[in-house]
Amino acid sequence: MNSLDADLVIRLNGLSGNIAIFDDLMRFVASDYLMPLIFSLCMLALWFSGRSPAERAKYQLATLVGISALALSNIAVWLINITWERPRPFIDHGDQLNLLFYPPTDPSFPANPVAIGFAAAAAAWSVNRKFGWWMFAAASLYGFSRLYAGVFYPTDIVGGAIVGVAVFGFTSYLRRFLEPLVTTFVRLMRGLSAA
Amino acid sequence: MTDPGPFEPEDVAVLARRYGPGRRVVAACWHDGSRGTKTGLEKVVTGQMNTDPLAVRDVFASHYFLLAFLASLGTTQVAVSISGARGLWLTPHRTVTRWLGIALIVTGFLIFFAQPLWIEGPWAAGSVEADSVSREWGQADWGDLSGARNVNDIHGGLDGTKQAIWFPLSAVLAFAISALFGALNLRVFKTTVGPGERLGLDEEGAGGLTGLARRSYFSNLPVSWRLFTSEVGEIWRTGLASADRWSVFRVIFGRSGE
Repeated sequence: MNSLDADLVIRLNGLSGNIAIFDDLMRFVASDYLMPLIFSLCMLALWFSGRSPAERAKYQLATLVGISALALSNIAVWLINITWERPRPFIDHGDQLNLLFYPPTDPSFPANPVAIGFAAAAAAWSVNRKFGWWMFAAASLYGFSRLYAGVFYPTDIVGGAIVGVAVFGFTSYLRRFLEPLVTTFVRLMRGLSAA
Repeated sequence: MTDPGPFEPEDVAVLARRYGPGRRVVAACWHDGSRGTKTGLEKVVTGQMNTDPLAVRDVFASHYFLLAFLASLGTTQVAVSISGARGLWLTPHRTVTRWLGIALIVTGFLIFFAQPLWIEGPWAAGSVEADSVSREWGQADWGDLSGARNVNDIHGGLDGTKQAIWFPLSAVLAFAISALFGALNLRVFKTTVGPGERLGLDEEGAGGLTGLARRSYFSNLPVSWRLFTSEVGEIWRTGLASADRWSVFRVIFGRSGE
């Protein structure tokens, strides 16, 4: 499994250096600032975009769950990291990779950026399928860019996606134990004319 | 983080390969973690860190805030043009508001990623290939632009926590600007809801975003707050009654909330 994983990242990363504009595009997408901000903006858009009060309330609850899932994903990834500290591909296969991104210092599995992307996408998907699928696509592209850049193995990306969706499911489940606080918070925001 | 600890010659060899010729690697340190195991390369202690991480962080924080503000303002405009909350529109027209929102988002990202071309930072030409340790301070050229912003947080880039602080602040500022301009807009253009116009939000006495379909933020706020204070007790009681039997609040307060 490990050798297949390494083989895949080496092959994919090996495509870099052929088309400069594609490498540049992947560097932009892999950035710490582009996709994470897009995920946050999607959550912001979800908060404001319901067309009726009922739809808006549904979207706003999903936004709160989504934001909580983002935070909890980080904790879940950290817990896995302290359990299994998988070295990054460029540590083990540095001589075979053309690194397009700075070498991160945290463990490789699971991919944290992908986990947060999938957590946010799952939140959006739970209330708006079309919007959610676009977000899943964006999160997948983010994962691919990091894979192409040589900083994650494919299984890190898949693991991150599973963690993100699972944490969203867990957070949705957790919400029922915090009711009626969550609903009251949304109503408070409505009282402040912000929801 | 640990002090530069024991390192092995092969660690240095890995570093030397990574940072290329001309970089003298004198020590390598590993992140030991609580269990004393090697987890990955943490930093190179070479005295060749060419940029001050604090200076880098200042540059990134201010640039990120501008990006997050413009993008949040744009996103808010697109979203409220969909929901019809006219009291938050920057322009009197729905379509113009939506396109202005899209333009603000694109402008925010364009400025952020193009700034290295005219602002000095840790992205001078020739130093942005992969790593962020060996960078020079200066302006980037076109060839280095795609990797210019890829700076590790230990070298001054913004980590997730800092982004999680800056983003909500920028979103709140974007909302405040929308509320202010929306109020001016309603006053100056005397915008009214046309008889044939479908706003999607059509409840006369409602508060929140629903009320913003017809009122400015400042005239809507007292209405919304009054509604909230009159309803909050009932919301809580109803919510408690229908909450899961293991809800923390139901366990504490009981089913009736008394």
